Amino acid sequence: MIELKKVSKHYTLGEEEVKAVSDISLTIKEGEYASILGTSGSGKSTLMHIIGLLDQATSGSVKLFNQNIEKLKDNEISTIRNENIGFIFQSYNLIPKLTVMENVLLPTIYAKHKLDYDVQKRAQELLERIGIGHRADFHPNKISGGQQQRAAIARALIMKPKLILADEPTGNLDTKTGDEILDLLEELNDDLGVTIIIVTHEKEVADRTKRQIYIRDGELVKKY
Amino acid sequence: MKYAISVIKNAIGEFERNRVRTFLTSLGIMIGVFSVVMLLALGIGLKNYLEQQFEDIGSNVLFVFPGQGFGGGGSFGQAFSSFANSIQFDERDYKNLKQLSTADYVVPGYITTKQIESKYEKTAGSIQGVNDEYDELFNFEILAGEFLSRSDISSRSKVGVIAETLADELFDEPDDAVGQTVEVDSNLRIKIIGLVKDIGDPEQDNSIMIPYTTTFLTINPDKTFLSIYIGVSDSSLVTQTKKDAEDILLRRYDDDQFSVIEPSEILDTVTQIFSIVNGVLIAIGSVSLIVGGIGIMNIMYASVTDRTREIGIRRSIGATKSDIMIQFMAESTILSLLGGLVGLLLAGIIVLIVRPFFPLEINLSTVLVSLGISSVIGIFFGSFPARSAANLTPIEAIRYE
Repeated sequence: MIELKKVSKHYTLGEEEVKAVSDISLTIKEGEYASILGTSGSGKSTLMHIIGLLDQATSGSVKLFNQNIEKLKDNEISTIRNENIGFIFQSYNLIPKLTVMENVLLPTIYAKHKLDYDVQKRAQELLERIGIGHRADFHPNKISGGQQQRAAIARALIMKPKLILADEPTGNLDTKTGDEILDLLEELNDDLGVTIIIVTHEKEVADRTKRQIYIRDGELVKKY
Repeated sequence: MKYAISVIKNAIGEFERNRVRTFLTSLGIMIGVFSVVMLLALGIGLKNYLEQQFEDIGSNVLFVFPGQGFGGGGSFGQAFSSFANSIQFDERDYKNLKQLSTADYVVPGYITTKQIESKYEKTAGSIQGVNDEYDELFNFEILAGEFLSRSDISSRSKVGVIAETLADELFDEPDDAVGQTVEVDSNLRIKIIGLVKDIGDPEQDNSIMIPYTTTFLTINPDKTFLSIYIGVSDSSLVTQTKKDAEDILLRRYDDDQFSVIEPSEILDTVTQIFSIVNGVLIAIGSVSLIVGGIGIMNIMYASVTDRTREIGIRRSIGATKSDIMIQFMAESTILSLLGGLVGLLLAGIIVLIVRPFFPLEINLSTVLVSLGISSVIGIFFGSFPARSAANLTPIEAIRYE
């Protein structure tokens, strides 16, 4: 499902060249529940952005859902993000002026193919399932952090993606709420078979996933 | 469809969140469209008004003017210089033109503004020196009394026919005018023998028509005419009559000293002048539209910066560059169009209020042009900020604080 070959990402910061990711080769299969563990500045987020097609590798090849990404145009990449990838961010990244329901429905507005289900109904079902059905008409700033993250998960799921990428999903939450969010992700992986990759710096979070990938100074390491 | 609704809803949501900013931004376009529409209304209104004036006279009338004013070709400069050193018609020209076999009537034209005094009032009005056929030129409706007769002309009678507006000013009731006497410049007493209905021409409606022979006594001692009108009953004979009239006048004058003109030629010239004037007015109005457009561009750039993170989020969930572009262009276009619409409405209200006093007119093409221009401004000036929004890289946008 995900195949990275000798992927590097360099950028220049002032006069210094920073190697955020260097020569990473990695394969993740469909249905996996994996974590990418690393300290701040280890390049783990950059790696996730490359996998999530938010950023482009400087060199190496990225194959996602059996497609070589290098050859795709920007709008094709956008469509892959829209249809196949759901993002969950540390800071939720909901749009404040839209209600929870509108946020969840936002990806469907950008769908380039006709969807074969009732999006409104699916959004409501997702919110119910995730436990915030009663918050559908609230604006993000009127609900708790845990509820916002749940809304973000519902948004990530609305298009029935094959892959969910979660960047420090529990980073802004207390331990108990964080655990609930991880329970939820685990459940989604078990029940729906969605591939989930969690990026984290917390060993405890990584330990809950079925596979741990360690990254240090932009390189994969065997053990942390 | 769902997409379009969401884009428009989104734009309106933005406006509601920033009402003051939205109002101030669209104000530029509002003022621009308002001034362009008002200027167009003025241009079209004046043009229609003048056309109406010529229609009142009818198309089968030839105008004989000194100089090479209208339709003679050449520049305004030439026209005016030839006007300045040209001849003045006199009774001999009038009598010569009267010989035209195809002419239905020939009327000499003389007009001057004088102090006119009735036993009640004193006012400035026009005195026209004409003949008994003058009423055929305008098809006057005689409200009371009668028009000048042939014998009035030949006997230099001190009688006159007054138009409604002037009669209303000089007498209690216009109908009272017939039979009364007015004094012109304190040295000519004219007995009113007829009252004619207004025709909508301010100069005509505010005048007394007296025999041209009578004007020779005191008012017009040079015994000249400003113009001569030739009526032709059969429209197929207009061109021939024109040529014959020119031949007659050529016996006395050079061909650049006078002109014989059909109303259509004057109309063509008037139309030409107004299209130039309108063009200039629109160009002036367009400056404010461009300033308004720059205002929109400025605000949209600020809005892109404000919403960088939102753009990043939208991109991350699958919005393409063109989706972002459309979102921002929709905002600038709707903003500009709304401004244009309000400007148009304001201009429409002003036109409705002023219309009874002044010829102003808004036609369909003015409406379409003003709305079209406001959309184009929104699209054009919105496209630069929209492009910069679309070209943000998703990851940089989403990290933007």
